Amino acid sequence: MNLYAAGKSGAFRITSVPKISLLEGMGLRRGTNVTVQNRYIFGGPVLLRVEGAYSVAVGKDVAMQIGVERVNPQ
Amino acid sequence: MSCHVSEDAAILEIKNKILLMGNPNVGKSIFFSELTGIRALSSNYAGTTVTFTEGRFPIGDTDYTLIDVPGTYSLAPTSEAEAVATRFTQSNPEAIICVIDASNLERNLRLALEIKRYKIPMVVALNLSDVALRHGININVELLEKELGAPVVKTVAVKGQGIDELVKRLEAVLKSPAEKCSGCGKCATCGDVDSVDSWKSAKEIFRRVVKKDDVNLKFIDRLGDNMMKPFPGVPIAIVVMAALVGVVVYGGRLLRMPLIMLTDGLIIPFFRGVFEWIFAAVVADGTTLSYRRLYYDDGFYTGFRTLIDGSFQSVEYVAYSGGFAEILLNVLVGEYGLFVISFQWIIALILPYVFSFYAAITFLEDSGYLPRLSVLFDNIMRKLGVQGGSLIHVFLALGCAVPAILGSRTATTQKEKKMLAAIICFTIPCVAQVGALAALLGAFSWRLSVLMVLFAIFMFVVVSLVAGKLIKGEVDPLIIEVPNLLMPNPKSYFRKLVIRMKHFLKDAELPMLAAVFLAAVLAGTGVIQLLANQPQVQLVVSGWLGMPEEAVVSLILGIVRREMSVAPLLLLDLTYLQVFVAGVVSLLYLPCLSVFGVLTKEFGIKFALIIFAGTIVAAIFVGGVVNQIGQLLM
Repeated sequence: MNLYAAGKSGAFRITSVPKISLLEGMGLRRGTNVTVQNRYIFGGPVLLRVEGAYSVAVGKDVAMQIGVERVNPQ
Repeated sequence: MSCHVSEDAAILEIKNKILLMGNPNVGKSIFFSELTGIRALSSNYAGTTVTFTEGRFPIGDTDYTLIDVPGTYSLAPTSEAEAVATRFTQSNPEAIICVIDASNLERNLRLALEIKRYKIPMVVALNLSDVALRHGININVELLEKELGAPVVKTVAVKGQGIDELVKRLEAVLKSPAEKCSGCGKCATCGDVDSVDSWKSAKEIFRRVVKKDDVNLKFIDRLGDNMMKPFPGVPIAIVVMAALVGVVVYGGRLLRMPLIMLTDGLIIPFFRGVFEWIFAAVVADGTTLSYRRLYYDDGFYTGFRTLIDGSFQSVEYVAYSGGFAEILLNVLVGEYGLFVISFQWIIALILPYVFSFYAAITFLEDSGYLPRLSVLFDNIMRKLGVQGGSLIHVFLALGCAVPAILGSRTATTQKEKKMLAAIICFTIPCVAQVGALAALLGAFSWRLSVLMVLFAIFMFVVVSLVAGKLIKGEVDPLIIEVPNLLMPNPKSYFRKLVIRMKHFLKDAELPMLAAVFLAAVLAGTGVIQLLANQPQVQLVVSGWLGMPEEAVVSLILGIVRREMSVAPLLLLDLTYLQVFVAGVVSLLYLPCLSVFGVLTKEFGIKFALIIFAGTIVAAIFVGGVVNQIGQLLM
């Protein structure tokens, strides 16, 4: 399932990322845990909380290329 | 922008370098302000748009040079900034101060580990430790020191906490640079860490040193989060932008008052008196000299009048016969005299607004608000053909188009760069121009200013859509980190403000003086009058645009500097409609000559010429349409 289609709430683990070095630098890699903080209408970005520590916004087109799986909150 | 270009060799030559490094948004520049004196040099790294700042940093008896290296996420040279950061680490620095964000330790540790690989003496500033505590993140500093093999100091740079301790630890490290771990074989000092491993090591260290509690978010964090929600984020954004306009317009006007009293009441009458006296003594031999001059020999009274009605417009027209002495006197102290407008326009008009703009935008920038705007409006910006991150460049262009266009190099595709350049050239006025427009429109009614802002937004949409259609290529989607919202640190805030004003003065001084000189000569010698009397000019300026003939001077001076397309209009008696048309023309009209240079350099002469021709045509066409519609309505 891709991040853009993944729904509004819940925690996710990233399973695949497109080859964009900025994503890697910001810590969005395979295995990174994220929660969706906000979504925006009209094809806006997805605002992520990464590892519960910081926020990164990724545009729709990138979000659609990021694969995620749902994880159960511990 | 700054033309001070440093070569690699020059950087290598700097003795006793200490580097300040870290992720973006960790507060490095606050450390820089706290550690160095007020004199700082901001430079462009050779062949790049990456800017770094250097300043004197005395420790004990030794003078060090502290270099604020651009913030990067890693040292893998995938971007310009990262490449520059890497080259700095290879330039034989004495030590590195690595600033890491305690509230975002894992990712920051990764960079620290990468830096550690270079085996340069390092101290680590565990900054934003108050934010970390607020978020329930407890860090075992002693353990972290062991893991990193470097001293770690908890700091809250915005409040100046921990800075002294950091310097003390740095001093110790500099004295005994051999301080290394005993060879545990596990920590960063011992083994080389490659990029994949640096993530793994960072995660492991993070697990060992951090204990996390559940806490409730404090007000500023909730505010920061709320600002990013569509509601109340969008209403807040509208309020913030309205406040920005308010601060610039009214703050600028407030600052103008004492300056106008100074220039109009003291400086200009002084020069007028001196020159009239010289001319009367040397040239006139008893006959009366007459020239066109503004009516404000009444000194401070004018200042107070400005206080009351916000403008001065009375002009005393004295016929002059056109003899050489009179022309010269006119050029020097006449209506557009060199010694009149250089004070009136540069000191009393442009400077106050430049200051009020930078005061407001620097605050927004340092508080971490601008990335929030990018996120909120990414959807709309995408529809317009650019991405939300471009909004930051647009806001910077409100300062000056030149660094904004250069800065748009960080935009990832050529299409986006060109679109940004087009949007900036057509619809984003620079700060000096905003000031001049605010003075012109504000003297009439605040409604006119609001109308002007709405019109600028409308043109922004139109130009974006048109440019998106005309310029081929792709635009990359938004990827942006949103930092914590925080109250700016006063010291680094004022420091940045001072540096920005210095830059403005340095870069704008010559073109402004050139424009003023041109205005003085053209007006003083009567060339303007001659031009204004040409039937073609009358057709365009008076007929189509409905402006007084003298307004032609605006169109000529506007080529040199943007605000000079507005400043001369302050001297004319204009109607509401004329003022608005003037605003429209000025907004769309050519960016200044420096922008032409940058456009040529970045995109080639063809693109620059298209933009220049386009802006002239658009300005005259749209300005005329607004005038004609206005005439019909009124």
